[in-house]
Amino acid sequence: MKLITKYNRINIVATIVVMLIASICYYFIVRYVLIHQLDNTLKVEEAEILNYVKNNNKLPDPTNYRDQHTSFEAVRELFKRNFTNVRLYEDRHHEDNIYRVLSFPVTIDDKLYKASVTKSEDEVEDLIEKIVLVTIGIVILLLLTLFIANRFLLRRLWEPFYNTLQSIKQFNFSNKQISPSQETDIAEFKDLDTAVNSMQARIIKDYETLKNFADNASHEMQTPLAILNSKLDLLIQEPNLNEFQTKQLQSMYDAMNRLAKLNQSLLLLTKIENNQFANARAIQLNILIKEKLNQLEDLIIAKRIHLSTDLGGKIVYMNDYLADILLNNLLSNSIRHNDDDGAMNILLNNEALIISNTGAVFSFDTNNIFERFKKGETSEGIGLGLAIVKQICDNYGFEISYFFREDLHHFKIQWAKE
Amino acid sequence: MHILTITINHGQSTCIVKVLIVEDEKLLSESIITCLRQEGFVCEAADHYKLAIQKIESFDYDCILLDINLPGGSGLDILNQLKKNKKLDGVLIISARNSLEDKITGLQLGADDYLPKPFHLSELVARITAIIRRRNSGGNNMLQFNELLIDTLAKTVSVNNKLVELTRKEYQLLLYFAYNKNRVISKNAIAEHLWGDETESAGNFDFIYTHVKNLRKKLIIAGCGDYIQSVYGMGYKFIS
Repeated sequence: MKLITKYNRINIVATIVVMLIASICYYFIVRYVLIHQLDNTLKVEEAEILNYVKNNNKLPDPTNYRDQHTSFEAVRELFKRNFTNVRLYEDRHHEDNIYRVLSFPVTIDDKLYKASVTKSEDEVEDLIEKIVLVTIGIVILLLLTLFIANRFLLRRLWEPFYNTLQSIKQFNFSNKQISPSQETDIAEFKDLDTAVNSMQARIIKDYETLKNFADNASHEMQTPLAILNSKLDLLIQEPNLNEFQTKQLQSMYDAMNRLAKLNQSLLLLTKIENNQFANARAIQLNILIKEKLNQLEDLIIAKRIHLSTDLGGKIVYMNDYLADILLNNLLSNSIRHNDDDGAMNILLNNEALIISNTGAVFSFDTNNIFERFKKGETSEGIGLGLAIVKQICDNYGFEISYFFREDLHHFKIQWAKE
Repeated sequence: MHILTITINHGQSTCIVKVLIVEDEKLLSESIITCLRQEGFVCEAADHYKLAIQKIESFDYDCILLDINLPGGSGLDILNQLKKNKKLDGVLIISARNSLEDKITGLQLGADDYLPKPFHLSELVARITAIIRRRNSGGNNMLQFNELLIDTLAKTVSVNNKLVELTRKEYQLLLYFAYNKNRVISKNAIAEHLWGDETESAGNFDFIYTHVKNLRKKLIIAGCGDYIQSVYGMGYKFIS
């Protein structure tokens, strides 16, 4: 639910409830005031009657006007002066009307009379009715105004917020762009915008630091690796090594080799991410693939892999070093993870490059196949080959995908649309 | 400073090879010096920029191993200095920063080759030997071991003056052995030399065994002595 909708809903419900309670209170207060006024009129009449009785020592004539009349009747017992409401049938309008009646005792020559002054409440009801109508009108007008104001004013007011939100959504730390500052005179949104911008700057800075750290760490590792490597190279020159020692040395070599390769791959990934291979040129892929296959011939022959190729003349614009790595990683993977006497097919055309090969089904979730350090249990690789492939494809807008079909592993690179 | 002067026989030419190692990492330069002395090279070391400049201005070297990141300056500036002084020393850049730009700049400034760290000493020896032969042999591109003759220009191999048909990989392998004669070369070093970055996987060196076996067989059939020895299953050694 949008903030505006929620706010509007609460606002309108609250307004209606408050208005309703207020109207009821208002109604009773107005009514009380008006009745009080009516009672005062009756009291004035009472005073007049009592005055008349005092002066003339007899009852005045009963009156009967349209909305006020007085009457007298003889009573035996003394009673208290009181105000009552009575409902009386009115001939003229053929309907019941409510009347306010003031009854009070009058004594003339020791005879007790009950005097009643009756006045119609019609006027009071009329007034209340009008007041209620006007009030309802005001409430409706107020609600309408509120609704429209919320709809248009709030949207305008919140605009800087939505702009900031949009800029957060579009933020991508790899392109190092801090979103532009908002023009707003609302302090909260200004604060938010400043906070978001400084957060973005901090993220970019942290990312750079982290990247530089990885880069420097990898570089710093090269020298100790070189020292280790050279010491091993010297050690194996010793003439009196026994079998046990050589086995240990070989293990050290292999571990060294893996460490060196891992380091090299991490460095390469960082460089590709940093777009350090910017210069591109037209590369004839079919020719490059043939060259690569030539270089990998030994491995293909060693595994007796049956190779079939269908290479169209596709030209891509990319850095030649990256093109070389891209093909190398895909092709050598396809050979390395292949079965002995297996099959390998390469299809190249204007839409895509598809490399498929036989080989054991992967034991892991292939959705993550392009993630770093994702590899099968039996793989001797370091798990960065496909991550590098993916990064290169991302850089050039190629779409790489993996699927398993007809007992073959397929890697497909969809070229970017021109 | 100890200067060892050894006269060595590399192929047919007899010469004293002087190498300057410009590397600030003591442990690494020690290894390099030990290895190169075993090869019979005369080695000097400079572990910072100023010393390196002094040395290149005072002496001539057949080959300079040049690290790019040095205390006190950049190896690339040393290259510039060499160029300014019109020195003909061969230069092999050894750098921890395996960057294309450094490589391109280095080669443009007149370096002969570029070897990223970490490297195998056998690879280093092969590269240095190649540089020195290219510069000093004066058109002599023959490497001879008794009946075995390698023509590094035509890239051919003959035994008793009869050509031996070798594949490209077998030829590269033989040349690598020849440049590192009497040294044990690890399988890892061979794999890296022959396949470079393509060998991501460690451990599976069957294809090296196949290549060495084929090379040996071809040479023996051609009437050549069996110079390639297997060393404890860990590597190979070329003995002449």
